[in-house]
Amino acid sequence: MIEILAEGVVKAFGRTRVLDGVDVAVPGGELWGVVGADGAGKTTLLRCIAGLLQVDAGRVLPGRPGQSRLGFSQQGFHLYPDLTVDENIAFIGRLYGLDRATLQSSAEELLAFAGLRDRRASLAGELSGGMQQKLTLVCSLLHRPPILLLDEPTTGVDPLSRLEFWDLVEHLHVRGSTVLFASAYFDEVERCDRVVYLDHGQVAAAGTPDELRGAHATLEEAFLELTS
Amino acid sequence: MALAQTPVDDAAPAPLPRRAGASRPGLQRLWSLVRKEFIEIRRDRRTLALIVGVPLLLLVIFGYAANFEVQHITTELVGHDSMPVRQALSANGRFAVRSQVAPDTASAESDIQHGRVAVAIVLDAQGLPSQVLIDGSNLLIATTAERELTALQHGTSTAPPVHVVVLYNPTLSSTDFMIPGLIGIIMTQVALVLTALGVVRERERGTIEQLMITPVTKLELMVGKTIPYLIIALFDLTFVLLVSSLLFGVHVRGDVALLFGEAFLFLTATLGMGLTISTLARTQLQATQMSVFVQLPQMLLSGLIFPLAAMPWGVRWISYLLPLTYFAAVARGVMLKGVGISDLWTETIALGVLAVAYVGFAALRFKKTLD
Repeated sequence: MIEILAEGVVKAFGRTRVLDGVDVAVPGGELWGVVGADGAGKTTLLRCIAGLLQVDAGRVLPGRPGQSRLGFSQQGFHLYPDLTVDENIAFIGRLYGLDRATLQSSAEELLAFAGLRDRRASLAGELSGGMQQKLTLVCSLLHRPPILLLDEPTTGVDPLSRLEFWDLVEHLHVRGSTVLFASAYFDEVERCDRVVYLDHGQVAAAGTPDELRGAHATLEEAFLELTS
Repeated sequence: MALAQTPVDDAAPAPLPRRAGASRPGLQRLWSLVRKEFIEIRRDRRTLALIVGVPLLLLVIFGYAANFEVQHITTELVGHDSMPVRQALSANGRFAVRSQVAPDTASAESDIQHGRVAVAIVLDAQGLPSQVLIDGSNLLIATTAERELTALQHGTSTAPPVHVVVLYNPTLSSTDFMIPGLIGIIMTQVALVLTALGVVRERERGTIEQLMITPVTKLELMVGKTIPYLIIALFDLTFVLLVSSLLFGVHVRGDVALLFGEAFLFLTATLGMGLTISTLARTQLQATQMSVFVQLPQMLLSGLIFPLAAMPWGVRWISYLLPLTYFAAVARGVMLKGVGISDLWTETIALGVLAVAYVGFAALRFKKTLD
């Protein structure tokens, strides 16, 4: 069953067509990666799928924000700098209607992963960029969504934290979550079941990492040849 | 640090249990939004200054400095000196008469032109006033001088005196006149500016995107962002009423509950305006500029300073679209005259209509997408 879908999606800002007939269909329980250069349309695609942007043409799933089964970790820091780590978590958790005990256990587990346990009383605005990114991810996972959209969540995160982050994504994947992951790093999407190359708002290629790599040593080389 | 291991075979994550008492999850989300807003306000010193500092500053400025009662009008006698005239002017209390006498009207005009005096009284050889020159460049001084000199002249005539009784503000105090309107200005400041900034700040920081992903609805978001400022504005109303009573002796003669009820309608309309601004502005700077653009006509055209009756129809129709126009009338009515709802139906209905219109318009514009 397809859990995440973009079918012939077109999205323009003014005269610029950012997405031009994009097709992506992620079956339940799979981990897919969307990779492409800056400006390829990765963020716009994920926002359309989440329903934060209305598509000009085509169809998307889930396509409607505010669903408890969707988690979306957006690029950059989108939480409250004047609230502490705990206050941010409590606020987002309550918006999802979590009870106190569930919120506490979920937060405990995720904060432990993120290495933020000791910073629970710190203002979010005082955390480093990488920690803020992790907090954003923690907040998007609090309600354990079965569908996850991750928009470049490791940008600005140190290498060790990136590895820890991938531990979590793979853990969620193993547990059956459906994940669509956007990244500018080719080594990251190597871990995905399937990879979609996005180039100038169009799908340049799609397949398993092995299929796309072909005779090339890395996915990056394959992508460069494809787009050159 | 590794995540706590969960057995692989526990399949897709089941939805987490919801809050036990959350039979009305909308209320829980609303409460969370309000609580979050108050935490942010408490930690933001600039917003705190706007909430407490601005009302206090406005109260002091309008209560003490913005005084329409002109005193010490510099005056000189021209041509001849006269003790009876000096005594009459001195007894009036508003005139400060120079000791030297100007030789002629040309000299007096020069004194007025250079700001040495505001009024020059030309006396004939018998010491009686034959002409008065007044500096018309300052309207307040000119009208006060003209009014007082006319009264003095009548006082010395043989006609029987007319007994004048001024009701509701017997001393014609500017403070009594200004404070009811000032309450409207302060609440406009809080409701309009803080609401607009509150929403735009969410957009500028990108936090609104996080909110859009959650199950919070457009209505909850709107109400959750406005309730804190409604509470703060009502707190400011209480604060200003107390200070004006203790500091300026201006008390509420009418029903305080009625005043708060009308303030609620007025605030709802103003919050709607603030929300509308927040849907138009992209940055906090734009929101501030737009707020000033909305506030200025409220101060000038609401009848707070200039009477509506004196405005041409080309401008007056704008006054009727401003919530402050009605609230200023309500506040003066309740505070100074002690009138009840039976005398304030028109204003109450107008405030209700404006509240529905402005909030409705904001709701139509308020979207839960990034488009």
